[in-house]
Amino acid sequence: MTHRNIPRRRFLQRSGATLIGLGAAGLPQLVPARVLGAASGTPGAKDRLNIAHIGVGGMGNGHLGYMLARQSRGEVNVVAVCDVDENRLAAAVKSTGGKATPYRDYRYILERADVDAVVIATPDHWHAVQTVHACEAGKHVYVEKPACCTIEEGKAMVRAAREKKVAVQVGSQGRSQREAFFAHQYIANGMLGRVHTVKCWHYATPSDDHPVPDSEPPPELDWDLWLGPLPWRPYNARYLHGVFRWLLESGGGQIRDRGAHVMSNALHFLGADHTGPVSVETKGRVPTRGLWDSAIELEVTYQFKKPDWTLIWAQPGEMVPYPDRERVKREGIREGYGAVYYGDKDKLVVWVGDGQVYTEPKALDYRPPPDGVQVPKSPRFDHHEDWFEGIKTGRKTIMNIEAGVATAFLCVLGNLSLICGRKLHWDPVKQEIVGDEQARRLMSRPQRYPYTL
Amino acid sequence: MKPRIASPLTAAASAALTSAALAAADSAAVAELLAKIKSADDAIRGPAWQNAGPLGAPAVVPLGEVMTEAHFEIARSARRAIERIVRHAGRPGADAERRAVAAELVKLLDHASPNVRKHALWMLSEIGEDPAVEPMAALLADPEVREDARCALERIPGSAATAALKKALATAPEAFKYALAHSLRVRGEKVEGYPSQKRVPTKPTRLKGA
Repeated sequence: MTHRNIPRRRFLQRSGATLIGLGAAGLPQLVPARVLGAASGTPGAKDRLNIAHIGVGGMGNGHLGYMLARQSRGEVNVVAVCDVDENRLAAAVKSTGGKATPYRDYRYILERADVDAVVIATPDHWHAVQTVHACEAGKHVYVEKPACCTIEEGKAMVRAAREKKVAVQVGSQGRSQREAFFAHQYIANGMLGRVHTVKCWHYATPSDDHPVPDSEPPPELDWDLWLGPLPWRPYNARYLHGVFRWLLESGGGQIRDRGAHVMSNALHFLGADHTGPVSVETKGRVPTRGLWDSAIELEVTYQFKKPDWTLIWAQPGEMVPYPDRERVKREGIREGYGAVYYGDKDKLVVWVGDGQVYTEPKALDYRPPPDGVQVPKSPRFDHHEDWFEGIKTGRKTIMNIEAGVATAFLCVLGNLSLICGRKLHWDPVKQEIVGDEQARRLMSRPQRYPYTL
Repeated sequence: MKPRIASPLTAAASAALTSAALAAADSAAVAELLAKIKSADDAIRGPAWQNAGPLGAPAVVPLGEVMTEAHFEIARSARRAIERIVRHAGRPGADAERRAVAAELVKLLDHASPNVRKHALWMLSEIGEDPAVEPMAALLADPEVREDARCALERIPGSAATAALKKALATAPEAFKYALAHSLRVRGEKVEGYPSQKRVPTKPTRLKGA
């Protein structure tokens, strides 16, 4: 963000200095923490970021709790919370001890010069628009997965983050987990040989077996703002909260919800973030009734070239039970999803894939030789910490926007192949569908004004 | 034995008979689809809409009517059957089918129900070509569906859709011009005035601030 061509940070320094002169104590929301804490040697103050949370239910509530814990250690300031559901918003304000300013409309937050970074945990159909707007406003972004709902949204996110040089972390946190690091290290050092196939498994998407008619939205909800970029339609209780995941427009089913974890790890472990498949073919069974239209069972085959490998997303697929049953009980291991990596020398199982990642002892015990491949590791195996380091140092985050979008494209293309009822061909360099005009048009979804990219 | 050579009259009659037989078969298949989609039992209705794709153009307008049924699950099934038809007709190499379906969707743009008009617009955004643009653009003046018409036209490639959006920009209500300008910019056009409103906050909370 700039003010009359003054780079944002310099503008903040200048305005902060002026405000201190005017008596900054009365203007706490206008002065960035780094300016107030400019006294060198003040622990944590110099680099303390002002964070705003957009979407504070579900995962958003988890992020808020995490940041409040950091705030209690003097590491960040949670200065604003935002939600279109006033009940959730009120609960979030309360959890901050009444210290964070509440907003219904995230755009007020983006106008605040003192906000350094935003955490976006809204339904999927908002991720791209809010990320692009936040980047344009010069804010660093942590955005929940999947990054985007359409191909054009993903491209816009990458452009915005690059142009504004902000750190974006997508919330596929599996990459940051300890056992994911060991699985990655094992695979990257060739212990499986050439990996030719990755088979994911995941339990089915639920169906709406008790459909209800459209109705008036509850008074605490701004339905228009919940819909945002989506075409307007009457409220239906089956859209929210949480269950937006089971609608193609706003969630996309398990392949987008958990595929954004499990397939993110596959791209990461195989060093394939910068690539994409050349073809995508989907078979599936969709619900016969109800509002939710995501496939219950699904099998998507992605064919990659140069190097050649096949990625299969299967609901339910072939689940591999985690062998240590006591640990499953003790730690609540969600073994209902994961992936098997098949190489020409061996195979490796990686269970779960999000905030939980588990793998086999052979990978955990493996140590690469001194000249072996060194794979990235998030500080303290903490996905948020990796984001903060990206903000501080300018280095790429482990689930940077390019990687997040590459993963989301797999999810999007899998669903597109299903709704079109045919195999799709993809140009991974141009990142576009080829030879199918209708599917090409479906790479974008025009958005309801003014909730546009 | 020498093959019999049909006279021109016989061939024409045969073609007419074949055409009539096909039309009757189409009609019977559409009637069966509609009967199943109107079933209150989703075990009958579900497979019917899921397999509607190959029925093509003849089913589109009748399904549009079923979209107005009071039973919301029946109306939804009709809507989804139209989607199946459009995705089937949109497959590569099916140009004649696609155009036939698009022509039927254009008929639904005049439907009394705004929900039907909206759905026809979005379906045309996937397969519509130049002949659909003018009737779609007429709905840019329809307050109930103009935003959907704008979105649908934004998605259709070609100069006809661009020209329609430009024409509407000259005459639309002032508030709607911002949205039209956005669509034109998405399509690579330069538009004077009507700057983007996308980051302008408009919805304050009722909660007391910190």
